[in-house]
Amino acid sequence: MDETALIHDAQHGSLEAFNSLVLAYQDALFNTALRILNDEDLAADAVQDAFLSAFRALNSYRGGSFRAWLLRTVTNTCYDELRRKKRRPTTPLEPETADGDEFESPNWLADPNASPEMSLDQAELEHAIQHCLENLPTEFRAVVVLADIQGLDYAEVSIAVKKPLGTVKSRLARARLRLRECLQGFRELLPAAFRLEEESSI
Amino acid sequence: MKSLNFRDMERLSAYLDGQLSPSEKTRLEKRIQSNQAFAAALDEIRQTRTLLHRMPRRRVPRNFTLTPRMAGIRPPVPRLVPALSWASAAAMLLFIFTLGANLVGKLSFGASAPMLAAAPSGLGGGPAATEAPALAAPVTMPPAELRSDQKATITPTPEVFAMAVPEAATPETNPVTQPPATQKAQPKPLNPWLIIWPGLAILLSALALLVWGLNQFSFRRKNRRR
Repeated sequence: MDETALIHDAQHGSLEAFNSLVLAYQDALFNTALRILNDEDLAADAVQDAFLSAFRALNSYRGGSFRAWLLRTVTNTCYDELRRKKRRPTTPLEPETADGDEFESPNWLADPNASPEMSLDQAELEHAIQHCLENLPTEFRAVVVLADIQGLDYAEVSIAVKKPLGTVKSRLARARLRLRECLQGFRELLPAAFRLEEESSI
Repeated sequence: MKSLNFRDMERLSAYLDGQLSPSEKTRLEKRIQSNQAFAAALDEIRQTRTLLHRMPRRRVPRNFTLTPRMAGIRPPVPRLVPALSWASAAAMLLFIFTLGANLVGKLSFGASAPMLAAAPSGLGGGPAATEAPALAAPVTMPPAELRSDQKATITPTPEVFAMAVPEAATPETNPVTQPPATQKAQPKPLNPWLIIWPGLAILLSALALLVWGLNQFSFRRKNRRR
């Protein structure tokens, strides 16, 4: 059954049709939430809440990219979660020195004195990028995650974050600039990551 | 890099995503070719973009499909339910009514019960059976027909009558002048409503139970299918 038919059936109360859509999009929603929240459990909760909200508000969907519409729901859920975390901040478990003082983390990864020969595996690269993403303002983070990690075009990102195209364009450029600056600290540490031979043309 | 302002960076970013109009694109490409700073900035943005594209995708920890309970969907109601939704209430009312009727019947006809029991079996019963002919004796039976032991224990005096039938007769009642007493001795047909009402109550209760069972069964089967 094609997506339009499934959406139509789901709008008429078919949970089976909606669950087929859930299975098709749960990966995109989970990875988006994970990159925005940087916590697997919170991301899973956000995705579940987002699908539940989407099912209840399904009649408000008026066509267009269903993926973008769903991603808007999960982005909103993530915003709510981040606001909640801001209101009630938790103390992170930082590694401690022998004297009981906290290490100055998480900038440990951006040590400029590290050996240039040192190669980082995929997990370390992911850690570095996630660290830089976390330093972005929430609105910029959502736009760059949707466009550069999920591969949405500007129109879809515009639907997902409910902002005009011009705002999306501007936020994405700012987010990329900030990320570039942040990743400068890892440049010497990530030589393999910056080998861009596979990037063919524009 | 310092020669570029934010507008230029924004254009370079949009250029990478193919979001510029043809005229803007041509203009920017000329600048990239002529200005080294533009080319370097474009390269850096592209590298950043490539790194982000390379971010590994995590597998979902579980499926996020919704259950009917999560979605707040109620199970479909069997067709019989609307018609019989009041069956249990009706059964309860009938039960109370029947119970009440039985109690009232027992209280008001308490005296006649021994007589009804004694009538078909003659005089062979216990003490209750022996009292019934005693009531009728003064009018319908000659004293000679009574057995000798009954003669010894029961005499048709008003006092004995009052002891034998405390609810039905007052101490002043004269057995000779009580023609209704003779009628009570006749076997009465059983009231059919005493069977119909409890029967109806049991039937409606069974239907209510059946409807509830059907409801549970269909709900479980639907959940299992999901």
